Amino acid sequence: MTGIVRPEDLLAKQIFLILAAPGNIRECNIGIIKDLSTQGYHSVVITTNFPYTILKKLYGESGIDLSGVYFVDAVTHHTIGSAENIPGIVRYVNNPANLTGMGIGVTEMLNEHKDEKICILFDSISTLLVYLPSTDISKFIHFVTNKLRLMDISGVFLAVEKGLDPMLMTQLTTFVDKVVDTG
Amino acid sequence: MYINPRIKITLTASAGSPGVGKNMGVRKEKERESCPDTGILDSTLVMIAVLDERGTVMVWNHTAETVTGYSREETVGNDRIWRLLYPEKEYRDVVTEKITSVLATKTYFKNFETTLRTKTGSSRIILWNTKKRKGKGKTRIIAAGLDITESRKAELFRESVIENANILIAVLEKGTVIVWNKAAEAITGYSREEVLGRREIWKRLYPDAGHRRTLTRQITEIIAKNRYFENFETEIVTKSGEKKIISWNTRQIGTGEARQDIAIGLDITARKEAEAALAAYMTEMALRLKGPVEVIRDNLSDMSHLLRVGKLDPDDIAVLLEGQVKTAEKVALNVQEFQRATAEKHQEIPEAYRKFLAGE
Repeated sequence: MTGIVRPEDLLAKQIFLILAAPGNIRECNIGIIKDLSTQGYHSVVITTNFPYTILKKLYGESGIDLSGVYFVDAVTHHTIGSAENIPGIVRYVNNPANLTGMGIGVTEMLNEHKDEKICILFDSISTLLVYLPSTDISKFIHFVTNKLRLMDISGVFLAVEKGLDPMLMTQLTTFVDKVVDTG
Repeated sequence: MYINPRIKITLTASAGSPGVGKNMGVRKEKERESCPDTGILDSTLVMIAVLDERGTVMVWNHTAETVTGYSREETVGNDRIWRLLYPEKEYRDVVTEKITSVLATKTYFKNFETTLRTKTGSSRIILWNTKKRKGKGKTRIIAAGLDITESRKAELFRESVIENANILIAVLEKGTVIVWNKAAEAITGYSREEVLGRREIWKRLYPDAGHRRTLTRQITEIIAKNRYFENFETEIVTKSGEKKIISWNTRQIGTGEARQDIAIGLDITARKEAEAALAAYMTEMALRLKGPVEVIRDNLSDMSHLLRVGKLDPDDIAVLLEGQVKTAEKVALNVQEFQRATAEKHQEIPEAYRKFLAGE
């Protein structure tokens, strides 16, 4: 257990913004999924950085039960040009800048697993800045957090500490319930 | 303009009858010899004409000749000059009526402005002052005319510049606004009818009493030191409640009772907004360049670590490296976008940023 996200907060369906040091963000991702898995949660990982295949491998090597982890992958298609969805397991979005596609992917994945005890992990807001301006990112995170609250689902957003525009950071802080700086 | 009482004018010393003396130079010499006072009249820069009750010209000084182009020979001894100076009957009648009505009740009139036509056809604006005098059973009217054409032109030019300037111009006399130009109306929303002759405009532009006190103190301190201030930026509230940033410059003209304060305000709201937008954009772009480079660095570092511990096979490495290539391509595009945007906004970029972008 990394203890980044407390079980009682997850029970309260809270939404978190986790700030991690640049060299620590992958470990943070794995630690959170491990915690969620241990607490009996299924996870939907929205990745804009590491491809599904790599994350699956890393999670597996960390002893995470992969049957409870689903993916919305915005990296692979963009990187290698093509990828086929695996129903219930992974949905590919053609480009990290395609926020509409990502929104649809998250919604559909959550709908597919609506009867499960589920939590989402977004990795990461910092990588989105490569492709999109802060204003678009802010709108998208607002949309996702609203969706989570409507569906009564807990969520975790990962970002590199000190890597966000102060204005964006202020806005994100208002969208989430708790900001955890693991720095 | 009043006739200096020390200038003695011999009204009976007619400048001559029409047709007398065809050589003006010779006659002038004779006049000067016989009537030294005419010399004094000729040395003044004011037009002086002496008339009898019927308007016949008795004296026509050198300035009157110079301004109108009509010589003494042409004017003295007859009243034709008035038809020549005011060739339009309608206008001449207005002038005549005005003079007649004033002189019916008074022996003088002051600052009566007319526009006359000179011999060459140009127009001159003359400010007339006249006095009726009686002596030896005869009535004479002394008319002194000041040519204000040039000063009026300068005044009109100054008014036109003030009116048409796209900067707020206010002139204050003892705190009371006496000039409030079109730009001032447009910028603040307050019309000149609401402002002129009053002192309350500043309370309206700075409605917060505390803020107003602070500004007043700052302005007082600056003026005590320099008697004026330059590029002093304040935020005003317009009539519609909009906030605008004004850069003020002031000057004092005159001294004592005649002192006037000129306040010139440049609306820099748009420039300030552009500067703020540009600063925000640059901050954003800095993050969008710094962030991705750090993502590539951290991913490569991560890959290196995973490779050392044997967690990646060649396919994984290929996928991850291709991902970093894509990110690098995006960084390059972001740099291009940044360069293009700053080039387009070059005019709006503050000096400090321009130097920064120019690598100074």
